[in-house]
Amino acid sequence: MLTKKQNLVEVMKGGNPDRFVKQYEAFAMMMRTPITRIKPPIGGEIVNEWGVTIRWPEGQLGAFPVHDEEHIVIKDITKWRDYVKAPSVECSEESWAVAIADAEAVDRNDQYVTVFVAPGIFEQVHYLMSMEEALMAYYEEPEAMHELIDYIVEFELKLAKEFVDHLHPDAVFHHDDWGSQINSFISPAMFEEFFVPAYKKIYGYYKDNGVELIIHHSDSYAANLVPAMIEMGIDIWQGVMTTNHVPDLIKEYGGKITFMGDIDSGVIDFPGWTKENIEEKVETACRRCGKLYFIPGASQGLNVSSFPGVYEATDEAIDRMTKEMF
Amino acid sequence: MTKIEEVKAKVEAGKSKLVPGLVQEALDAGNNPQDILDAMVESMGVVGEKFSTGEIFVPEMLIAAKAMSKGVDVLKPHLAGDGASKLGTCIIGTVAGDLHDIGKNLVSLMIESAGFDMVDLGVDVPAETFVQAIKDHDNVKIVACSGLLTSTMPAMKEAVATIKASGLTGFKVIVGGAPVTPEYAAEIGADGFAPDAGTAAVKAKELATA
Repeated sequence: MLTKKQNLVEVMKGGNPDRFVKQYEAFAMMMRTPITRIKPPIGGEIVNEWGVTIRWPEGQLGAFPVHDEEHIVIKDITKWRDYVKAPSVECSEESWAVAIADAEAVDRNDQYVTVFVAPGIFEQVHYLMSMEEALMAYYEEPEAMHELIDYIVEFELKLAKEFVDHLHPDAVFHHDDWGSQINSFISPAMFEEFFVPAYKKIYGYYKDNGVELIIHHSDSYAANLVPAMIEMGIDIWQGVMTTNHVPDLIKEYGGKITFMGDIDSGVIDFPGWTKENIEEKVETACRRCGKLYFIPGASQGLNVSSFPGVYEATDEAIDRMTKEMF
Repeated sequence: MTKIEEVKAKVEAGKSKLVPGLVQEALDAGNNPQDILDAMVESMGVVGEKFSTGEIFVPEMLIAAKAMSKGVDVLKPHLAGDGASKLGTCIIGTVAGDLHDIGKNLVSLMIESAGFDMVDLGVDVPAETFVQAIKDHDNVKIVACSGLLTSTMPAMKEAVATIKASGLTGFKVIVGGAPVTPEYAAEIGADGFAPDAGTAAVKAKELATA
C-alpha cells in the first residue's frame, strides 16, 4: 500500500494510485505558528494585523471584514501608503517551538508538512478597501493598485522566508478566492496583469526553497484562470466547484495541474446533512472525474466542515468509492 | 457620432470622468434630458447582457454603473420630477441570517441603472423588515431578496411567504443568489428569479412593466 504522499504523487503524475486521495489526508497543516494570521472567534470581533476589523457573527459560516466609513482601512487608494502598514513577521525563536515540534512530529514519508497562508493577495486588497472599491480601482487607479500589490507581495515573501527557515515545509496551502460560483471576479487579462506576476514571485520563492507542492484554494469558478494557475506554479487547485466542469478541466490540463474538489460544500455541509446525500455527491464526483489528476473533496478551504460529522462522512464516502473503483 | 451616442459609448466603457462632461455637452446641444437618460439606461442594458454572457466581468460592470451614476447627477436638475427613476421603487436586501452583500450590491446597481429608485435594506434583513419597507415607500414595484448560503434558504422562503401573506399588493418579488434555482424560486412563491446582476435588471424591468 502506498503512503498518503506516494499515493498523491501517483495521482498527480498520472501513475498508479492504489486508492482515491481522501481530501486533505496527505497534508499535515501547521496551524500553530506565531505568524499564522489571527481570526475572530465565532461571535467576536478583532482588528487584525493589518488593521482590518473582522467580525464573525453568531450563526454565520465565516468572518466578514467591516467596510463602513469608520472601519475601512484604505479611504483613498491614491494615498494607500498613509493607511497601510504591513505587520512584522519577526518573532522570538521560542514562539516557534510549538510549530517546530508539530513539524517534527510529521512523518514526511507519509505526509507533506504544509504551511497555511490566508488571505491571499486578491482578498487582502479587498479586505483593506472593500470589494467594490478594489474592483473599480484596477481600472481607475492601476498604478496605485500595482504598488499596493507589490507591497503585499513583499510581505508575503517575508512570511514565506520565516516559514521556510523555521519549518522547512514540503507544501504550502494558500488561500485566495478568485471568483463567484459562476465566473471569475476579474477577466483573465486583468488577472494576468495584476496577479500572475505577484504569485509567480511568491510561489517561485517557495519552490526555490524546497517546497514541493503549491496547493491553492479558490472555492469558486476559475476555469478561465487555469492557464494562469499553471503559469504561477500551482500544483493543486483546491476548492474547484462543480460549475467549472471538472472532468473537462482534467481532460484539458491534467498532467499540468491536479484538481481537488468537485463536491460543493454547500450541497453536502448544512444543518440536517445526511450520509446518503454525501455518498451520492462523492460518487458522482469520483465517477465523472476518475482516478488521475483528481482529489475528491468538499470545496471547503481546510480539513474541517461547517457542521460536525460532514468531513468524516465525506472521507468514509471516498473510502467506499475506493472499494468500488480500485 | 452624436453627443448622445458618445454618452452611450462612454457609459458602456465605464469612463466615469468623461461622462458628466459629455452629458453636459449633450444637454448644451439641445438634446432632451429624458433621451439622454434613456440612452444611458440602454447602455447599461448592454453592459448587463455582456455580464450575463461572461463577456465582461464585475469591474467593467461597476465602472459602467459608476459612469452612469455620474451622468445622472448632471441630468437630475433637468429631469421632470425628482430624479431618474421611472420604473418605480425596488426594495432590496439579503435575507435574515446571511451577511453577504457583494452580489446584492451588484444587483442593486444594475436595477438602479435600469431606472428604479433603490431602497437597500442591507444584509441580515428579517422578513418583517421587507414588509415594513414596502409600507414605508411609495410606488414599490419590485422586492428583491438575495441569499448566498444554502443554510439561509429557509429564511428566503420565509421572507417571500411573509411578504406575500402581508396583503400588500402592486409589486413583484424576485429572488437570487448562488444556491437559488428557478425551480426553488417557483417553489417558494417568488414571481421571478435571476442568476446574475445583468439578468436581474432585465427581470425587474420586465415584471414592473408587465
